[in-house]
Amino acid sequence: MVGAMEIYQLTPKINCKKCGLPTCMAFAVALLAKEKNIEDCTPLLEPKYEAKLKKLREVMAPLASASETGLIIHDEKCYGCGNCVVACPVNVANDPRGSAIGLGPKSDKVILMVEDGVVKCLNPKECRRFGPNRIMCNLCTSTCPSKAIEFV
Amino acid sequence: MAVCTGCSLLCDDIEVTLESGRIARTKNLCRKGLGRFRSLYSERASPRADGSEVDVGDAISRAAEILSGAKRPLLFGWSNSTLEAQQAGIALARKLGGVIDDTSSFCQGPLMELVIRGQMPTGTLDDVRNFGDTLIYWGSDPTSSHPRHMSRFSYFPRGEKLQKGFEEDRTAFAVDVRESPTAKIVADGYFQIPPGGDAEFIEAILSVLDGKMPKVQDKKRMISFVTTLKKAKMGFIFPGLGLVYSLKDRLDLFSQLVARLNEGVPFRVIPMVGHYNMRGFNQTLFEQTGGINQVSFADGEARRGQENGIISALDSCDAALVVGSDPVSSLPAAFARKLAKIPVVVMDPHRNLTADLARVVIPTALSGLEAGGAALRMDGVRVELAPVVEGASPSDAEVLARIREVV
Amino acid sequence: MAELSVLVVTFRDIFQSEAQEAGRYGEEYRKASALILLDRGDADRAGIKDGSAVTVASDAGSVVVNAGVDQESHPGVAFMPNSPWSNQLVSGQVGPSKIPEFKRIEARLSSASGPVLKIEELLLGIVQG
Ligand code: SF4
Ligand code: SF4
Ligand code: SF4
Ligand code: SF4
Repeated sequence: MVGAMEIYQLTPKINCKKCGLPTCMAFAVALLAKEKNIEDCTPLLEPKYEAKLKKLREVMAPLASASETGLIIHDEKCYGCGNCVVACPVNVANDPRGSAIGLGPKSDKVILMVEDGVVKCLNPKECRRFGPNRIMCNLCTSTCPSKAIEFV
Repeated sequence: MAVCTGCSLLCDDIEVTLESGRIARTKNLCRKGLGRFRSLYSERASPRADGSEVDVGDAISRAAEILSGAKRPLLFGWSNSTLEAQQAGIALARKLGGVIDDTSSFCQGPLMELVIRGQMPTGTLDDVRNFGDTLIYWGSDPTSSHPRHMSRFSYFPRGEKLQKGFEEDRTAFAVDVRESPTAKIVADGYFQIPPGGDAEFIEAILSVLDGKMPKVQDKKRMISFVTTLKKAKMGFIFPGLGLVYSLKDRLDLFSQLVARLNEGVPFRVIPMVGHYNMRGFNQTLFEQTGGINQVSFADGEARRGQENGIISALDSCDAALVVGSDPVSSLPAAFARKLAKIPVVVMDPHRNLTADLARVVIPTALSGLEAGGAALRMDGVRVELAPVVEGASPSDAEVLARIREVV
Repeated sequence: MAELSVLVVTFRDIFQSEAQEAGRYGEEYRKASALILLDRGDADRAGIKDGSAVTVASDAGSVVVNAGVDQESHPGVAFMPNSPWSNQLVSGQVGPSKIPEFKRIEARLSSASGPVLKIEELLLGIVQG
């Protein structure tokens, strides 16, 4: 996964504060935490930073698709095995006749399901890593054979 | 709901959305199963005879000619066909006085034979889900070969007696040469063995069961492993090709281990059959002839023998019908070469290497997607298949019946 | 590179199975099949780089495939996806069980003697051999 340092390398590194933050490093951290958008750094939109901007958009793309819980799915690594679907405690609680017993989900309240051979995230807000009572659940990532699910 | 024929789990909870008669979206199919569904639209076979495009009828007549002209035709494949097609295939072999064999002959056959003969305790995958608390994936890697095995049945789902699921209720082990994706999932339960080391590993377990010190490096770990096995309420072993190929003629060692374990606690065995209906063929042929594969009907009598297995039969057979299989790809080159020397008829939904060198190619429907029927899951449970889309080709069963009419 | 002796064990891979369903003649299937996965130490010692082509030879035959270097350690053992490429190495000699030795092939690795063959070229080799 990309780190703040890697993102920092792709900023203009001029600490102009136009983004509302004191340094480009602070901007990089904020970008990673999704508190800022790439476009908040106006200098980056100048032609001379074109290459950096392009690269930055590339490295940020998987992050952009991350749900609010920070869950990222790498489609190309996924086996579609359904381990995460069946192991997720929220799926089990909300879908006792489907994913709890190994079948495809029979409820639309599940977080994870497999579509076209690849896992999909449906109700990210239900995830136990989210909200005021969040806990560090990792059942979907620890049961995955291929690191196709990741949290950032 | 559709059934997936991507592997012998025959997952029957597949949701399919069609758009103008084509499959547009699927739910619950794993990556391998999705590949099978998408194969509807790639590399489809077309009818051919003696190097030219012909229509299906002509291909069938030419096939019949080749097969009835042969002294000892070999009818091979069958594990990717429905039970109905397998019945029709056996009937054709009988009429031709030919030899019939399937892929199990150089695959899970030796183990499946023990299971079908009732010489190896077995159970269903539903038993595994409901009661299996101690699991050994041995020389098998379900994550790669049967991707939903662990999530649908063996490790992750909640069962009748196992409400807490894998975290507390199940203990899983993997014994393998390779640290496979399955080995990674069971993590601390993985035992790495050297190639061919299965016999020694069995002997080590037997030693511990006998109260002796096992001859392995990590004795403590081996003892604690066996202690866990002895505490199983219901144990299951899922042997793969790794175990079968490694033991070969010493499969009795595995039988001995299973018997010993069963003196204390119930331990069942479900071989990790690859193709979706290999079990179906083995069982059907067994019921009709007493042999699960490698049967000859010469002189009107069914005889079982190794000389009828594809590996040996390639030396004596003078023509072959290959159904739903690609032996030129899956056999060692030396045997593929022998097959290339005799006239071959291929029945398959897809182009493959065997079809490329065949005299006659008869395209068939993709079962479970374009044609219905039934099949036996790896554990012997019967699953009905219904067509999902309309196809242009006849089913295996139909083609076989037409060939039988004219030979 | 230096010669390297390994015990080849064939295995099955889901991405290869997927590629096979899409078509045996496709580039994806070739990429996923014509492959040998080596232990890092073995690869380093023999001077084999990840992704480079190597010739794998057994008593039964030889084949050019791409080498991969595994994360996992397995010195002396190499893994090949079961395919027409690995089948070039499997012996035609069988024991009393009549099951070919698919999972225990003594092989030697050396510098690639040519390109990785396409499946049609392998087939031609089988027919003409
Ligand atoms: S606006 Fe861009 S260049 Fe200026 S401080 Fe923020 S990140 Fe750095
Ligand atoms: S973190 Fe836990 S609750 Fe959230 S999706 Fe993964 S398994 Fe489900
Ligand atoms: S994300 Fe991982 S566990 Fe979930 S279906 Fe994909 S491969 Fe399986
Ligand atoms: S596990 Fe097997 S039967 Fe189930 S969806 Fe995957 S390939 Fe199909």
